[in-house]
Amino acid sequence: MAKTAAEYFENLRESRVWRSIFRSGTGTSTLHRSLAIQQNIFLHLFSTKVRRRMLNFSATWYLGTLTFGTFVILVVTGILLMLYYHPSVPQAYADTKDLQFVVSSGLFLRNLDRWSAHAMVLLVFAHMFKVFYRGAYRPPREFNWVIGVVLLLLTLLLSYTGYLLPWDQLAFWAITVGSNIASAVPLLGNKIHFLLLGGNLVNANALLRFYVLHCMILPLAAFFFIGIHFWRIRKDGGLYTQQSEPAAVRPQPVGKEAQ
Amino acid sequence: MQSPQDKSYSLWHKLFGDPIRAFGVVSLLFLMSLAIAPAKNHFSEWRHYQKSYLRMIRGRGDAVTLQRHFRGGIQQMWLPELGAVDRCTTCHVGQKEASLVDVSTQPYRRHPVIPHSSDQFGCVICHRGQGAATTVEEAHRSTLAWEQPLVPTRYIESSCGQCHRASFAGTPQLNQGRALLTRFGCVHCHTVKLPDGSTMNATDDPPPLSHIADKTTREWIFAWLKDPRAYAASATMPNFLLKDEDARDISAFLIANSTPVRDDTIPISSAAQKSAPDPQAGASVYGESFCASCHAVQNAAGNLVGGDIGPELTRVGSKVKPEWLQAWIRNPRIYDPRTAMSHYRFNDQQADVLTGFLSSKTDSDLLANVHLDPATPEQIAHGKTLVTEYGCASCHEISGIKKPERFAPELTRIGSKPISLLIFIPGMQHTLPDYIVNKIKQPRAFGTGLKMPQYNFNPAQVDALTTALLSFTDQAQTMPAALTVPAMAVSNYQPAGKAGQLMNDLACFSCHTINGRGGDMAPDLTLEGSAVQRKWLDDFLKNPNTLRPALIRRMPKFNLTDAEIATLSDYIMTVYQTPAFDRDSMPESGYSSSQVEQGRQLFYSKYACQSCHIIDPKIDKGYIGPTLTQVGSRLNAAWIYRWLRNPQALRPGTTEPNRNMSEEDARALTAFMMSQKGSGKQEAKKR
Amino acid sequence: MTDPPSKDKKDFVTGVDSNARKSPRRVVFVTRRTSAQVKAVDEDQVQTFPEVLFRALVAIEVLSILLVWIALLFNAPLEGVADPSHTPNPAKAPWYFLGLQEMLHYFPPVVAGVLVPTLVIIALIVIPYFNINIEAEGLFLQDRQSRLRICYVVAVAMSLFLTYFHVYVALVPTLIVIAFMLLAAQSSPQSASPFRRYLAAQPLSYWIMTWFLFELVVLTVVGTFFRGPGWSWVWPWRN
Repeated sequence: MAKTAAEYFENLRESRVWRSIFRSGTGTSTLHRSLAIQQNIFLHLFSTKVRRRMLNFSATWYLGTLTFGTFVILVVTGILLMLYYHPSVPQAYADTKDLQFVVSSGLFLRNLDRWSAHAMVLLVFAHMFKVFYRGAYRPPREFNWVIGVVLLLLTLLLSYTGYLLPWDQLAFWAITVGSNIASAVPLLGNKIHFLLLGGNLVNANALLRFYVLHCMILPLAAFFFIGIHFWRIRKDGGLYTQQSEPAAVRPQPVGKEAQ
Repeated sequence: MQSPQDKSYSLWHKLFGDPIRAFGVVSLLFLMSLAIAPAKNHFSEWRHYQKSYLRMIRGRGDAVTLQRHFRGGIQQMWLPELGAVDRCTTCHVGQKEASLVDVSTQPYRRHPVIPHSSDQFGCVICHRGQGAATTVEEAHRSTLAWEQPLVPTRYIESSCGQCHRASFAGTPQLNQGRALLTRFGCVHCHTVKLPDGSTMNATDDPPPLSHIADKTTREWIFAWLKDPRAYAASATMPNFLLKDEDARDISAFLIANSTPVRDDTIPISSAAQKSAPDPQAGASVYGESFCASCHAVQNAAGNLVGGDIGPELTRVGSKVKPEWLQAWIRNPRIYDPRTAMSHYRFNDQQADVLTGFLSSKTDSDLLANVHLDPATPEQIAHGKTLVTEYGCASCHEISGIKKPERFAPELTRIGSKPISLLIFIPGMQHTLPDYIVNKIKQPRAFGTGLKMPQYNFNPAQVDALTTALLSFTDQAQTMPAALTVPAMAVSNYQPAGKAGQLMNDLACFSCHTINGRGGDMAPDLTLEGSAVQRKWLDDFLKNPNTLRPALIRRMPKFNLTDAEIATLSDYIMTVYQTPAFDRDSMPESGYSSSQVEQGRQLFYSKYACQSCHIIDPKIDKGYIGPTLTQVGSRLNAAWIYRWLRNPQALRPGTTEPNRNMSEEDARALTAFMMSQKGSGKQEAKKR
Repeated sequence: MTDPPSKDKKDFVTGVDSNARKSPRRVVFVTRRTSAQVKAVDEDQVQTFPEVLFRALVAIEVLSILLVWIALLFNAPLEGVADPSHTPNPAKAPWYFLGLQEMLHYFPPVVAGVLVPTLVIIALIVIPYFNINIEAEGLFLQDRQSRLRICYVVAVAMSLFLTYFHVYVALVPTLIVIAFMLLAAQSSPQSASPFRRYLAAQPLSYWIMTWFLFELVVLTVVGTFFRGPGWSWVWPWRN
């Protein structure tokens, strides 16, 4: 049974249509497998080979991978939630209630989005500290560390803007408390506060603004920086291995890298 | 190649084989986990209730009809103008099915018949709770996401009060509660802003204390402060549960702070003091003046007899000084210009007798144990602090102390107060109604340093007050005007000129309503000028007799002078007229006897008026409406005619039914009425 | 699969690596005059497809299963509709900002809300650009006495500063980290205990980051669980 399924799948992979999409072919040779990475617009960000040592759980705890995983969950659940949500007052709250009481599995979607958001913030922090303690920020990976810091801020902003959307007491006052901090900036404080909320108070304008940020601007920015982050792993010499590299290695001219 | 890496690598292989196979296995687990969510949806509570409803009706005789009415899936009533989405009928499927009268298990019970349709008002506007919810817990109880649980059925009238701002017959408990809030002065301290923008006003009329030393003694104040109910069972003043020292100091301050008023005490002549009070004569003046219409006295059985507009007089002799009492009886407005008490024009002898009669109503036990040393300045100063702290000036006028603003929490939206803002005492349910009930019953149990005094309400009164308070919701404040039944506008009507002064002096508004202002004990006089004949009015003011013999409360005799009567009558006849018709459009007399006879027939047979009214005291037994024996010399013909055609047009809410009389019938009846001059009987009654 | 070198004609040897599956084929030309020498051991590598890619997918799926179960079992918090007139007490920011909010309790907003976060972000960004962070030397392995002196001065200064503002919540982690630093100063790579050898090897950047992580966790946990009405201290296990 399993064998026949595998055969069907093999046949599918041999078909013209499949070949037109995936050009790497069906071989199991190193060449084929390298092509599978190189000829895919998304996968070509990664190197075709990875040091076997880096597959160990202890090396990375897979924290970067898992953070990206939560991001994917958030995009999927977020898009589904957008189908049921109006960013207006007080409809936003009624929509949240409808998700809970009327929409099939709506509550599950909202739960998953919420808990994944918390998980992502936790994982981003964990990833950052893991990278630091392994010393993986060292040259030539300085810039990728900076991108990581940017992604940390983007994650916090994504979570923070999403916090307001249910328009309940928790959301309203968390955003009020959080945004009031911005008012403390010398000279420009109130202007920044106004810019953030689209007014002096958390109201319908703030909700719309946070919605656009949460569903459009910040996810796009996050995709952009995640792309760079992944690509720079390859460009900076693959995943950092403590033992193989001397402590103060200087950046090497491009092209001398093996992979 | 190091050995630990090998180890973990082989462990992986042992568990999953190669990564692709592992991916297959984990993907399967992932999809299975994902599939639980829709499965959970399938076993939701509301589906369970709908299924068991269908099971329940299957065996019934009316199964076909019920089956046809049944609609599966989530049901909702959307009421955009109330901002409500009620999904209660998703589980309460049979609430409209009249044939389910025998079903007593929820959620399938049918709704009792009510004047409103649930399609128009939904469920939540009356029952509260969370209408949008489709789970039992969320819909009925207070959860983190929804403060307001279902309102208990015993307080359900509070929901009526959100729209019905005037009192009406369907909500006796709510009406009582609202009346108690004003009658017991709750709204002196607690502001209640009504949705129409007005503020609830108290009707208890607490006495001013600026000149109290003229009126009573420090000992009595002390005893009263300690327990007002020891002096008068009907005391409006609550018990502040004061310590002896505090009551001592407050009484010291009130006496020291009091300033005398000129002429508000009349020394009792030694002769009058010596002459033994004639209880018979005193009782007779008390009775003739109808003091009992407003004041109550406890009888031997301990029951209160009399009205509750003025204070109870059972032990008044232990309270007031006789010289003050006499001045008060002669003219109460000297001591308190705003009192609800009428200025009777008693002669010296009447005043003497009445003073003696009332002064004899003492209770020797009341002040027996009160022994106060002369007050020290420290005590007086402390008393002043206490008076400020306890907010005495919220109710009483006290010179030198300003009426505190917002002394107690505002109750305008108490019915929607979030539970998170309440502090409960141990052992009580954490619900808003229970909080209000306990706050009324035992206000001081909620913590130390609280000032709210102890009232003595019976359980029914507590429930009524709770109902009234629960009706002050956010929803009531934002209810669309189209859905509300407005309250009667509060009027500050003030009659003009000399007649106006006279009417204030006589405190007409304590009993009568005119143009929306005044009490409800006596008839509304707004259209009196159109209704009555001048001569009757003059006679009545001179010597009031009752139109309704069944009533104990009567218009008292004020001993007015002829000039005063003329002033009042002129004013009433000129000003209090309806613009709807001309008083003189129909003749007072000159009706043909056939017309009168036709009227008599209509009276006794077609309309059977004698069931409520009396024309001939020998045969007629109607006591509901006023006696009509002399209606022909009391009322105008035009008024009678208009009244017969449509009584509600002249006096909204009158008990008199609208019989839709033809013009001809009304004319005949009017003729019959006008023939009832009843002069002989009137004279007989006067004596 | 080595070709036997033809000794007569050519003055070089050629070779082909035999392990073709694991690394690309490399052809070696070694001239006679030089001797072949391996400078670095080439690490064993695996193909990203399918080895790494599917491992990553499996990891993501395991996490997803975990999150799906959490989402099935625990409902996301939802309170009453937003009401500007009813301020909950305490009004709390999202948990990841509660460290900041906790600091706002002690310091003026311009310090706790603006200065500190800005400095933290700047500090994080510049980490890889300072050699002090790149050196992996143990802090006290060189110059021990003067570094220990600086350590003392910083410790006393921070303790005074935090005590002055009554920030005992932040003082405790600071003191603990300093205690470990002093322990590290007393340790050396020759110490008997492996933990002390580990401490001795830690550079300055490690100590600063650990202190930051410790403070972040403690302040966030305190802000989340130990703060009640009016931002007063409450014990979470007491209702």
